Amino acid sequence: MSWSDALRLALESATRRFGRTLLTVLAVTLASALLVALATIVVTANSRVINQVSKGGPITAIRVAAARAEPGQLATDDFRLGGPLRLDDSYVDRIAAFRGVDAVAPVLDLDVLAVPPQVGGAPHSIFERMVGVDLRHPEHLPMTVLAGRLPAAGLSNETAVTLGYLDRLGLDADNPEEVLGQYVSMAHAQVTRAASGELDYRGRWVAAEVVGVVAQEAAPGMFIVPIEQTRADRDWALRGVGDGDRQPLPESPYSGLIVVADTLGDVGEVREAIDELGYSTSAPEQLIANVQRYLRVVDIVLGSIGLIALVIAALGVTNAMLAQVRERRREIGVLKAIGARDRDVMLVFLLEAGFVGAVGGIAGTALGIATAALVGAVVNGYLSQQGLEGVRLAVPISIVLAGIGGAALLALVAGTVPARRAARLPAREAVGGA
Amino acid sequence: MQPPPPPPPGRSQASSLTPTAATTGVAVSARGLRHSYAGTDGDLVVLHDLDLDLPAGGYAALTGPSGAGKSTLLSVLGGLEPVQGGAIEVGGRSLGTLRGDGLAEYRRETVGFVFQHYGLVPVLSAQENVELALALSGTPREKRRVRALSLLGDVGLGARASHRPTALSGGERQRVAIARAIANKPRLLLADEPTGNLDEVAAAQVLDLLEALRRDLGCTLLIVTHNHTVADRAERRLHLDGGRWAA
Repeated sequence: MSWSDALRLALESATRRFGRTLLTVLAVTLASALLVALATIVVTANSRVINQVSKGGPITAIRVAAARAEPGQLATDDFRLGGPLRLDDSYVDRIAAFRGVDAVAPVLDLDVLAVPPQVGGAPHSIFERMVGVDLRHPEHLPMTVLAGRLPAAGLSNETAVTLGYLDRLGLDADNPEEVLGQYVSMAHAQVTRAASGELDYRGRWVAAEVVGVVAQEAAPGMFIVPIEQTRADRDWALRGVGDGDRQPLPESPYSGLIVVADTLGDVGEVREAIDELGYSTSAPEQLIANVQRYLRVVDIVLGSIGLIALVIAALGVTNAMLAQVRERRREIGVLKAIGARDRDVMLVFLLEAGFVGAVGGIAGTALGIATAALVGAVVNGYLSQQGLEGVRLAVPISIVLAGIGGAALLALVAGTVPARRAARLPAREAVGGA
Repeated sequence: MQPPPPPPPGRSQASSLTPTAATTGVAVSARGLRHSYAGTDGDLVVLHDLDLDLPAGGYAALTGPSGAGKSTLLSVLGGLEPVQGGAIEVGGRSLGTLRGDGLAEYRRETVGFVFQHYGLVPVLSAQENVELALALSGTPREKRRVRALSLLGDVGLGARASHRPTALSGGERQRVAIARAIANKPRLLLADEPTGNLDEVAAAQVLDLLEALRRDLGCTLLIVTHNHTVADRAERRLHLDGGRWAA
């Protein structure tokens, strides 16, 4: 008997006891839905937690400071800063060539005097840090846009600000859009020495439009600008003399780097290599490892609940199929009497079980994703009330395939015993058995 | 509603029942045939050293009381059960060595079965039931559709091809079962109480049909029956009692 003929017979047979088949499909559907919903929620929650731990940037990001590493640096996730250490393009290239490094994003942050729009209770000026980053590759940066967008790479008349800026201006952090479109005048100082020997401070003023509000961990600072702007400011400052500790010359071309490792497993090795160059580093690798351990436990517990449900559904499939075999003994005998082989009979019953599993799997996967979306909407509602960023539902294709394929496969396994029993029934059942 | 009468024995050239060399009946020969079933009190012997000879194209009726071993003999001859003891040759082919797929092939290629309970698959239409036998023998889909419709036409059910068994009368169901039994041009046609569930008119029609098929196809026909009227129509009457031939 061909597969198509066996499938046709199996489908016809599956609809024979429609109510029983429907209940069996329903059991598989519910179990599959539970598993898919749990898996989707777990994956989404995991990415949300990891995202929070990594501050919105790549979870494999390592921050490098233009400073010497103190002893014991690698034993902690945080910087252990020693004295300044020049960080230039030659080191950027060396680090980028390390095994396990995916990308390197330079950071140059400088002191800045900013004059915000004079509205409400805004201060006349703010002494802060301006963080210059490579905005051609924002995906490498530990930065989350809360409103608006990031400044365009290469432009000096755009800036993004942090929630700290809104706080300094006495603005509502729940309404970050309020500052978009405003202009801030910013200047980095150049210190020169007059003929009289007195220090003279001059600013290179830039008026930048606030185009976005971000949360960021690239470097401490309220203003995010293209790195080209802070480079220009550094060049400007270097034409002066500096004034020691108060306004030192920015000797190092970069104040730090964001190094993105290929995988979490590479983070430790890359940190070690950078440490050997002498630089201080920071990465939440131990925190992430601990969080992942806990998340793994949650995965196992929730996965087990789903699997138990699937096993119960599989037992339901076995039970229903065994009942089918009991009721169809004579029919199976007749099939054999007209020439069906054992494997033909087995194929029909296996396909019937697989059909039940596949239909249940498809319906269950759809129901599971819908359930997860509903849960996500409820959670987002709560997070929104708390002033937090919502979660974005993650449904990997692997979950969809596992939901459908897993249910079909489990039903096939569950149908094996009944199918074998059917296949082994003697042909004499056609004449009523012994 | 009265079922339509079966078609007359004489058929056109296009009929599915046109005799061919492939449908010549087979001779059946059994020697010392023994068969038993395992019971709680030991083996229950149902056939005791039976000898049997049926000529190719012959027509015999097998009678006997319940438990005489009629159905068991039919099962062994039809390859529904492996031969336990003795020797059987059907068309010169020994059944004693056949097991599993070999027996399935024998049932598919050589034997046609007609059951008292019809044995139709209830979720399939009359046409699909006939096609099922052809599907098992590997007949291509389009060819088996044509042949199934032709066979149903031959047994007077061309107009009921799309009906499921539950929509057919007992006589019609049995004629569908007969169409299925002859779908693969069997050389040995075995019928187990084919008229047992039918009224007198339908029984006569079914019997007429079986006899016409035997004439047209030239197959060997063995009918198990309790009915003396049915048995009297056969060329030869065999009587079993307690697993032994009786006078």
